[in-house]
Amino acid sequence: MQPAGYNWDFSAFFKYLPFLLQGLEVTLLVSLLATCVGLVLGLLVALARLSGFPPLRWVAAFYVDFLRSTPLLIQLVWVFFALPILLGYSLPPLVAAVATLGAYSGAYLAEIFRAGIVSIASGQRHAGLALGMTRTQVMRRIILPQAVVRMLPPIASTLITLIKDSSLVSVISVAELMWAAQSLASVTLRPVEILTGTGLLYVAVAYPLSLGVELVRRRYLAT
Amino acid sequence: MAYEWDWSALWDNLAFLLDGLSLTVLASVVSMAAALVLGLLVALARLSGRWLGAAAQVYIELFRNVPLLVLVLWVFTVLPLLGGFTLSPLMSGTLPLTLKISAFLAEIFRAGITSIATGQTHAALAIGMTRTQVLKRIVLPQAIRRVIPALGSMWVSLFKDTSILSVIGVGELMYQGRIVATDTYRPLEVFTGVAVIYYLLAYPQALGVNWLFAKFQVQE
Repeated sequence: MQPAGYNWDFSAFFKYLPFLLQGLEVTLLVSLLATCVGLVLGLLVALARLSGFPPLRWVAAFYVDFLRSTPLLIQLVWVFFALPILLGYSLPPLVAAVATLGAYSGAYLAEIFRAGIVSIASGQRHAGLALGMTRTQVMRRIILPQAVVRMLPPIASTLITLIKDSSLVSVISVAELMWAAQSLASVTLRPVEILTGTGLLYVAVAYPLSLGVELVRRRYLAT
Repeated sequence: MAYEWDWSALWDNLAFLLDGLSLTVLASVVSMAAALVLGLLVALARLSGRWLGAAAQVYIELFRNVPLLVLVLWVFTVLPLLGGFTLSPLMSGTLPLTLKISAFLAEIFRAGITSIATGQTHAALAIGMTRTQVLKRIVLPQAIRRVIPALGSMWVSLFKDTSILSVIGVGELMYQGRIVATDTYRPLEVFTGVAVIYYLLAYPQALGVNWLFAKFQVQE
């Protein structure tokens, strides 16, 4: 027979909070590094998708479609367990995590970049070319500076999604928040409080961020 | 030293993997059906009076901002301890998916409902329809049409999210893949195969969603 009511006891949660916060630091670090990788990769892929050379466009489109059509978990497991067989050496979990999350977010960011670039009226591009600027100059000086401003809110949303998705890298034992929570839950035998508290920690990080992004978007970018 | 590929590990266990795939589809369908109903109810609650609206908002923000993995483990380990009952693996798999997706669907439904011009509601009330009639006959039929493409996007992301259920031992495609990879010592071929299976299924769905977006595009 189960007791009628569960006796909540958060003392284990608070006692080990510093351990969880260390995990949270790793979560944020992994998410930030992966976003940096994703931004560079995403910009390159977006430019490849808009290039005049068809094979480059096809490869970039396949990259975007494949990474967006497969679960992050299989990508993670593939990079950590399968890729090393091809490479001939194993990857440290942190490297595998950042690489996978970076490649994954890169596919989404590429679409954000592409939409941002396409959204700048083509008249501006023509005008720039007519003035004698090269294609690269037009892209760097006219299109990208305007496009980047429009892309900021979706880029921030991608980062927030990544903070949540990065919990999956606990599966390849990167010592981030979720991994810390799972080890604590089994050590303290208080999974109820630890997991509930961890869920609330994620909310405490993700919710204010998304609220902030929404406010900035409304105030500065209302169309 | 070149790696010697051996795809027989994949072909020999294809039936086993496809068994898992049927559970992936089942979990997606059940979660989506439940989330559609729940999401619509939460959206209506969100648009209603103060307390109910506030409660619905907490529901939405909570389940949108908690990682799915936390929800999955919470339902799997915590809920039985709190409630004193055990759930079948499939049940503890579909419940977290339903909670997450319904929170996103609630926001989609809410956006759809508020996008219908209020003049229509006023007109309908003025000709003597009750609030429920207005909702059922005027607002919802138009709102649901508008959000169909967004529902499609959620479906595709749900389909991929089911892979997380492998963590609690639900025998869907990802779980079966991990078993085969371990049994055959051929993770490269097996995981590549599993990824390709996901791609072959999800990519046409994504194309379908693009088609929906084009077909149901709203012109004001």
